[in-house]
Amino acid sequence: MSTQLQNRPTSSGNRDCGSPEHGMHRRLFLEGSLAAGAASMGSFAGLFSAQAIADEVKKQGKKCILLWLCGAPSQFETWDPKPGTETAGPFAAIPTAMPGVHVSELMPQCASILDKLAIIRSMKTEPSEHFQGIDVLTRGDAPRPPFTRPILGSVVAQQLGQLDSPVPQFVLLDPCPEGNEFKAFKGGNWAGWLGAEYGPVRAGGEYSIPNILRPESIDEADHADREALRRFLSRKFENDQSSAAAAGYNAAFARVKGLMSCAPLFDIERLPADDRYRYGPGAFAQHALLARHLIENGSTFVMVANGMPWDNHVFQHEMHQMLVPELDNVIYQLVNDLSERGMLDDTLVIAMGEFGRTPWLNDARGRDHYAKAWSLAMAGGGIRGGVVHGATDERGFDVTTDPVDNRELFATIFTTLGIDPAAEYDLGDLPTFHRVEGDAKPISTLLNAG
Amino acid sequence: MPSPSRSVSSLILRLAVLVAVTTVSLACGRQAAAMEGSPQTTAVQPSDNRGTPPASNAELAAAIDRLLEEGWAAADVQAADAISDEVFLRRVFLDLAGRIPSTAEREDFLSDSREDRRLLLIDRLLASDDHAKRMADLFDVLLMGRGSGRTMRERHEHGWRQWLQTQFHDNRPWNQMAEAMLLARPATAADNAATWFLYERNNDHQQIAEAVAPAFFGFRIECAQCHDSMTAAEVEQAHYWGLVAFFNRGKNEMTDQGPRIVESAVGGFSEFADIEGTSSPNLLKFLDVDVVDEARPAADEEQQESDELYQAAFRDGEPRQPVFSRRERFVEDVLRDHPRLAQAMANRLWAVLMGRGLVHPYDEMDSAHTIEHPEILQLLTDDFRQHGYDIRRTLRAIASSQAYQRSSRKPAGVDDPATFAWYLERPLTAEQFTSSLRVALYGAGEMPRELTSAVRQAMPDVLPDESVTTIAEPLFLSNGPDLQALLQEVSEGDHPLAAMAALPSTHEAATALFLATLCRMPTAEEVEAVATFLSQSPQSAEISSNDAPPVAKQRLVHAAWAIVTSAEFRFNH
Repeated sequence: MSTQLQNRPTSSGNRDCGSPEHGMHRRLFLEGSLAAGAASMGSFAGLFSAQAIADEVKKQGKKCILLWLCGAPSQFETWDPKPGTETAGPFAAIPTAMPGVHVSELMPQCASILDKLAIIRSMKTEPSEHFQGIDVLTRGDAPRPPFTRPILGSVVAQQLGQLDSPVPQFVLLDPCPEGNEFKAFKGGNWAGWLGAEYGPVRAGGEYSIPNILRPESIDEADHADREALRRFLSRKFENDQSSAAAAGYNAAFARVKGLMSCAPLFDIERLPADDRYRYGPGAFAQHALLARHLIENGSTFVMVANGMPWDNHVFQHEMHQMLVPELDNVIYQLVNDLSERGMLDDTLVIAMGEFGRTPWLNDARGRDHYAKAWSLAMAGGGIRGGVVHGATDERGFDVTTDPVDNRELFATIFTTLGIDPAAEYDLGDLPTFHRVEGDAKPISTLLNAG
Repeated sequence: MPSPSRSVSSLILRLAVLVAVTTVSLACGRQAAAMEGSPQTTAVQPSDNRGTPPASNAELAAAIDRLLEEGWAAADVQAADAISDEVFLRRVFLDLAGRIPSTAEREDFLSDSREDRRLLLIDRLLASDDHAKRMADLFDVLLMGRGSGRTMRERHEHGWRQWLQTQFHDNRPWNQMAEAMLLARPATAADNAATWFLYERNNDHQQIAEAVAPAFFGFRIECAQCHDSMTAAEVEQAHYWGLVAFFNRGKNEMTDQGPRIVESAVGGFSEFADIEGTSSPNLLKFLDVDVVDEARPAADEEQQESDELYQAAFRDGEPRQPVFSRRERFVEDVLRDHPRLAQAMANRLWAVLMGRGLVHPYDEMDSAHTIEHPEILQLLTDDFRQHGYDIRRTLRAIASSQAYQRSSRKPAGVDDPATFAWYLERPLTAEQFTSSLRVALYGAGEMPRELTSAVRQAMPDVLPDESVTTIAEPLFLSNGPDLQALLQEVSEGDHPLAAMAALPSTHEAATALFLATLCRMPTAEEVEAVATFLSQSPQSAEISSNDAPPVAKQRLVHAAWAIVTSAEFRFNH
């Protein structure tokens, strides 16, 4: 689909960076100021030594990768095919590793590991427009202005993340800054009432973060020094003014140093060529691999998106024929990799969009928005594999058993990650908000006992 | 190399054109997000002309204050304190002139003891070239969006930027500006570049419709491409396709006179389908205005081009124009005197000065969104209309109100920014940021273009719904090469920063730096912190010998960086 992997633009100066030698100014050695250099070298090395990583990950508990299929994929061409009906479309259904369970023929690899996946075929939610759907399915609830509920990644990073870690705890990998409503949504406030420090670090495009490396014109000591002065002045203003804007601004600055220290983590060219080949050339696939890498190295929540490609109101089948096989491979590789590394039990993988698509085709042979009955998949992180939860009618018009709404979905996600869904937020004089509203219960069939 | 999803969406668009369908993307906006839970005070409706608004500026400002205060009293809200002259100075310079004041301007104002000095300053700023530039910067983005480097260059080359600036300089009535842009038949050479509003959209008539609705009528219409708005009943699918039809006979042509949109007298008839598949003709229909009559050919009938359908150009050398011109009908029958034209602009001007619209977001003024202080919007709308769409008059009234001149410290116990009980902090736009850097550190002359365009990329927002700092911005400020290069450059030559380096003590340099950048006297603690920083040379001992100047230039560069990247510089407050 894309030749970006081969032809990706490179910015000179990014190539040789990340080595300890490069991170230390020569003058520090010459003048005997080795202490500062040694300390940074220590944290550098610590980040990338395999043994240290393994120990860290064990300590840190559960993680999550959200494959955010923005625009909304069709359940019929993925998890809930309706062979032999007018709903079906041109693609067949194929058997899977779970006897009696069929998925679309566009997903042969996932079919082969369905014993590791859980599918919900009975999603039933309210909003059928993108912006509102994205809001509800990433935050867990409908908005209640002027209060902004934090997005899933912010909650998980706040609950499970290591705030003192230099590695960003919540990362959004999205190479495409565009995407209609998703673009507008990305411009909004993600961390909500948790505060800006729980917002995502955004990367993508060149698979690296712009300006993540210190310019050569300033040495490390001066860079740190002037930042200390900036912090002093800026925090003073924040406190004197009780300024919320300054608080968010300063919180973003506070992450600069840590992020700079882990620049190499975001450099996809450092990953084994075999891995990159297995995941495939598309930006979405490469970012899914990067998500795995970030999770292995201490991130808590990585959201992988790619603009809003799934909104196929036109030529649905042709478009899905391109998109679904890539997704199929990405889920397969990700779940297998995590499994091989002994990380699947602690890493929840979710693949979903903001709703599903209509059982019928429109005049442009596209499927339109459909929130009444749709599907999603999860794996790992304590979710039971091989489960198909809920069902739709013969033609996929409506849910027939076990409807699941956004609240129950979020209760399930939080529970399996060890986060109490019923907890109340402590927000001072704001109204009472719960992590999941309405006392929604998790879906017990999806949760591993104990 | 385009990213896959971009290619996918452009593919979708091309496919859509091929099959001539109406459902490309159900591009629905943010509206319903604002609905639930917020009290439905007054849903947005076009304003009519009831009531006689007060005539004088002082009365208008007082009426704004009275209406806000009544609301606060009812809701038991304690508003923030009034601000000092020093705070007012920086704030109003940024909002009206798009930059901070120079130290000389600061001294002038603070030594002015006249009672009406604030109003006098407002007037001086509104009449300044900086104000025209500030408004042009703002409206370039509001009307056209941020463009790529090439787009920005084209806007300059074809005079669009200069046209905007001239309009605001001359305080041209907003309705006249709107007509010049949408009719796009420049009656004089002075309006030549007004055509760029349509021309840049490059014959994409849907894009034109989606720009016209928010720019001149204050609401977004993307949703209605595929269906009547589900949140605001008055926004119908027929309006979307009607608006498209008003412009769909236009075709870009680069003439000797400049960019023109030549209009055909035939074609542009199609049907649009709603979600159920029912087809309707794209009549010349928009909002509550009567459908503009036009003979419609039968389905199997092809319209014939004929010279009789055209008349001579309005001016020599211009393209001929149709006898029945859809664009002209739009301007004369729909746009002219439409209540929303004034209402949308009044709300937007309020947002420019007050940090958010009376309807928020300012470009979603449909019935799904509430007007927070309906009487104020009514007042401003009526006044704006009755006084000839005078932008400066409205800005002047708002800026001279007490509401504008309150502290940015949020009072305890008040959470809703829609109360306007305190001045809402806002990040500087890229243009305000660079212009302020210029005043503080650079002095006269043009700033490096690389810096300007890099800052635009790093700080693209103008009137954002919310102020959110992503990590990209501190990374840009910390490590981006352009700001670095600028600071180096201004430490030499006759730039203000170089002059500070020549001051006799670090304390004086620290004080000068504060005055130049933050437009206020520093506290003793702040002077001490910066002076200490300036005196600590990281260079080895031999350099800081007795011969060395008291202020190390490199340290001053770093201190300047620390201040201009601090929150106090970055925001207007």
